[in-house]
Amino acid sequence: MKKILAWKLAVLVTALTMLAVTVSSAEDTGNDKCLSCHSNKDIIKKSGERLYLDPAMFAVTSHAAIGCNTCHDSVTANHPTDGFKPSKASCKECHSSVQSEYAASIHGGKAACNDCHNPHEVKSLVAVSGDDINAKCAKCHNLGKIVKSHDKWLPQADLHIDALPCVTCHTSSKNYVITMSIQKRQAGNTSYGDFKPAKHDELVALNPINGDVSRLIDKNGDRLISLKELRDFNFEVRKKDMRLWGMMMPEVATHSFQILENRWDCSFCHASGPKAMQKSFMAFPDTSGGYSRVEVESGAILDILYGTPDFYMMGSTRSTALNIIGAMIIAGGMMMPIVHGSFRFLTRRNRKEH
Amino acid sequence: MKHTEYVYLTPMPVRIWHWLNAFGIVTLCVTGINIRFPDVLNIFGTYKAAIELHNTAGIVVSISYILWLFYYMFVAGTLAKLYIPTFNDIKSGIFRQAFFYFFKYFKGQPNPHHGTPDNKFNPMQKAAYLVIMLVLLPLVIFSGIILMYVAPLREVIMIIGGIKTLVSAHYLIACCFCAFLFVHIYLATLGHTPLAYFKPMWDGWEEVEHADPHADPHSH
Repeated sequence: MKKILAWKLAVLVTALTMLAVTVSSAEDTGNDKCLSCHSNKDIIKKSGERLYLDPAMFAVTSHAAIGCNTCHDSVTANHPTDGFKPSKASCKECHSSVQSEYAASIHGGKAACNDCHNPHEVKSLVAVSGDDINAKCAKCHNLGKIVKSHDKWLPQADLHIDALPCVTCHTSSKNYVITMSIQKRQAGNTSYGDFKPAKHDELVALNPINGDVSRLIDKNGDRLISLKELRDFNFEVRKKDMRLWGMMMPEVATHSFQILENRWDCSFCHASGPKAMQKSFMAFPDTSGGYSRVEVESGAILDILYGTPDFYMMGSTRSTALNIIGAMIIAGGMMMPIVHGSFRFLTRRNRKEH
Repeated sequence: MKHTEYVYLTPMPVRIWHWLNAFGIVTLCVTGINIRFPDVLNIFGTYKAAIELHNTAGIVVSISYILWLFYYMFVAGTLAKLYIPTFNDIKSGIFRQAFFYFFKYFKGQPNPHHGTPDNKFNPMQKAAYLVIMLVLLPLVIFSGIILMYVAPLREVIMIIGGIKTLVSAHYLIACCFCAFLFVHIYLATLGHTPLAYFKPMWDGWEEVEHADPHADPHSH
């Protein structure tokens, strides 16, 4: 009897152990095993660059969370000596709605998903900078040609292309936000346009509080950047060849690439008034090459003069204080005809007598 | 006995410049309001039309300013004489003129200043036009030109202290011009008839009433 009980216990323990192993293997996606070779740069020499992936960049992708085997499900235990080329999942297996939206757009026939998105580096919209997005477009679209073609109708096309990711106008998003980034002048180069988004290590070199680059601006660490913090930071970095640069980013990414009629009308962005785009963010680079953003006090970027002296969007960014001063100057001018004119009218007889 | 004489006060190049400039400044003020407050005022159809008209008017005013400066410096050679207040102007002239405008005028007493081709501005006008023509107008033109080419002139903007500083300066100077328009047009009605000062800016000749017809050597 005791023997049977011991057997039952043994089976139970074994079953529990197996269950635990199954659960833990589900959590461990097995990426480490793949990365031991595929994140080693030696693989580039042996088999080409396409087999290498940057472990830091990959780690933060949602694809890393689901594991290598999910997309490359035919990898055998004997890989890579089995002589068999592992399969790749197609993007539409998971992203079918994005795929059909993209296929219907004017860009659908021009490039495949992975021409723009490296599945091993792909990030969400909030984790990429406008420059990163435009760098993808620039792989096929020559910047000089883009400026030239936009110059035909768009005033200061070069400036616009510097301050907007292409997708802001060429896909449809309902809302837009201003995302600021810290830019650093490229060493040894003083001509215009040589400001590039500062990298994580360049900001760490400025000794942020606790080594957290967002604390360079968000000094009190409350995850909200106030007007004062923005202004203080700006005064500090201007001496260090850095500046705050803003881009108008779509709040939602869509793949409906198109030429939208309402974007020919400047007032789509410029006449939205100071009430629009009050929500803005400061994007800080992280070690993976992506960005994390911290919200900025409402209206700060649009209104304040010294906080973001290099960011100005006609019609939408205007300082209320300056509006009042300007109105007072004009009102002062109007006082002359009103006040002097009244006295003039009241004393008109004196001049007739004379 | 009163005698009306005619003084050729404003030569034709100056008149052409004046009206070109006036038309340009008014256009710049209206389009400027449209550009800064597009959600409040939109009278040019599209925002782009307002910008293009503003830029064109800006270029017209800039070119006419250069011609004006060239004319007064090198053709007429009277820039310093007409626009720079003398020591006496600063010491007493400005106050005498202000006293006239804000007191004596109401009592019906005569203007202490009589315009001649060589000294057509009273001390207050000299001081005001000096600031407007040789400080504010060049500044607003300079800032406006930079704002037309922001990307290529990024380095200049950085030196100035950022695009917002530049825009703010441009806007505040523009407000000064707008204020000046009201003062200027109103003061132009203070002649012996409301249109007396407008006439010389249109046909060049100012009517001057004299008790003695031989008093003014410049009379015709």
